Amino acid sequence: MNLRKHRPLILSFLLAVLVAALLGSVIQTQFNLAALQAMGAPMPAEVRLRTTGQDLIGFTPAYAGIVCAAFLVALPVGAWLTRRLSRTLGPWVLALAAVAGVGIALQVTDAVAPMPTLIAATRSTAGTAAMLLGAAVGGLLFALLRLRRRERAA
Amino acid sequence: MKAGGIALLLLFAAGVAHASGYRIDTVTDQLRSPATLAFLPDGRLLVGERPGRLRVIDAQGRVQPQAISGLPDGGLDATSSLIDVVPDPDFAQTRRLFISHMQGTTKANFLRISTARLDGDRLVDLRTLFDAKPAKPGRSNFGGRLLFLPDRTLVFSVGDGFDAREQAQNLRSHLGKLLRLNRDGSVPADNPFVQHGDAAPEVYSVGHRNVQGLAYDEVNRRLYANDHGAKGGDEINLIQPGLNHGWPLVTFGVDYIGARVTPYTALPGLAPPLLHWTPSIAPSAIAVSRSARFPQWQGDLFNAALAGRGVYRVRLDGVREVQQEKLFGELDARIRDVKFGPDGLLYLLTDGAEARLLRVSPAP
Repeated sequence: MNLRKHRPLILSFLLAVLVAALLGSVIQTQFNLAALQAMGAPMPAEVRLRTTGQDLIGFTPAYAGIVCAAFLVALPVGAWLTRRLSRTLGPWVLALAAVAGVGIALQVTDAVAPMPTLIAATRSTAGTAAMLLGAAVGGLLFALLRLRRRERAA
Repeated sequence: MKAGGIALLLLFAAGVAHASGYRIDTVTDQLRSPATLAFLPDGRLLVGERPGRLRVIDAQGRVQPQAISGLPDGGLDATSSLIDVVPDPDFAQTRRLFISHMQGTTKANFLRISTARLDGDRLVDLRTLFDAKPAKPGRSNFGGRLLFLPDRTLVFSVGDGFDAREQAQNLRSHLGKLLRLNRDGSVPADNPFVQHGDAAPEVYSVGHRNVQGLAYDEVNRRLYANDHGAKGGDEINLIQPGLNHGWPLVTFGVDYIGARVTPYTALPGLAPPLLHWTPSIAPSAIAVSRSARFPQWQGDLFNAALAGRGVYRVRLDGVREVQQEKLFGELDARIRDVKFGPDGLLYLLTDGAEARLLRVSPAP
């Protein structure tokens, strides 16, 4: 594999993973803090910001690993589908592929891990949906970066 | 240089004294996934094994080939059924055992307390004393440690079930609590939340994650619990009726994946732990030393540790930790249970599919 030739593709992929993981981290923090607030915990903006920042450092690396594994399968499948179906729908197909990929990866992680649900925010449907929205943004970003690249090349 | 030499000499002397302070003998190495040990007044020792077996070790230390039959069938598979066994405080008369175990399926299970009479090598008259509610999924955070208080009430832990951690703050739920019952399953009239609206009347203390160790110190009338934290945040708590120990509003640990469970390690109205271990040692049991055989350890707390591979001895001055030492690290073994026997010696149960029962005695 010619790394130099594929560098833009790899960079687009890594950027997509990073954005999905960072968004997922910020989202899961808000769900966890909401659960604490519902139990009566105070949540001033400063505490919310600090905790969100701590999770960006503490949670993102592991979650990025899950997203990366999911995207490695989902985005190529999405790109293949785009070529077969419709190029104009490409970004949305890739967004959907990213959602499906991360959704399945979360299920597999929970099936393998000893605890019922590894990521607390994904215990609820709303939390899972919000995390998957982050994955969708990652898929969309990947599609747009690739599209722009293709337009430049044309 | 001279001072350094003296310090080195002192360190060496302390090491020798430590090493020769006790002797460890293997009572048996024939145990399979043991969970708990219990002493009967007739000198026999019971070892509960997770798959739901109760092994008998006679007063001479011989493991009886036949396990006790008649144990409740929890329905869950062999990895996680039996949790704890304690004899009735009046066992000599009643011959009753109290047993905690999981009941249900992997999708919906709960802690059940059963009681049965030991008749020879079988359990008879098996009765359900209590079922914890609500049911929860998975095989994590069962709690299930049993302890009789001097007033002959039974205190026991119910874990938060991992996914239901917020339930530890819900007084209507049994999850994430210590509960207290009479031996017949009724609720003691002086339980702290009996008069508290719709609270579960069995609740004794609130805000626990997965208490696996309970010990009562009869000298200073204290109930201690050690709580198995997530990633960090293992705790020793001093239990008083009605206190809220804070999980998951406060903890020194984080979730296994690295996310914060909460921004707080302390909040008003929540009882702080006596101490916490961060990173985790994974405490599995706790015992208080009042044994005359070990005068050097009077009043100390012995915390068995799985990940910590040893027993963490903690000395308190009031509620302040003044000394801590890891013991039996030379075994390099996960320790599942720790108890002082009626002979004053310290008994350790190692963890795993091939496990040992060890007896610690003072060095001659």
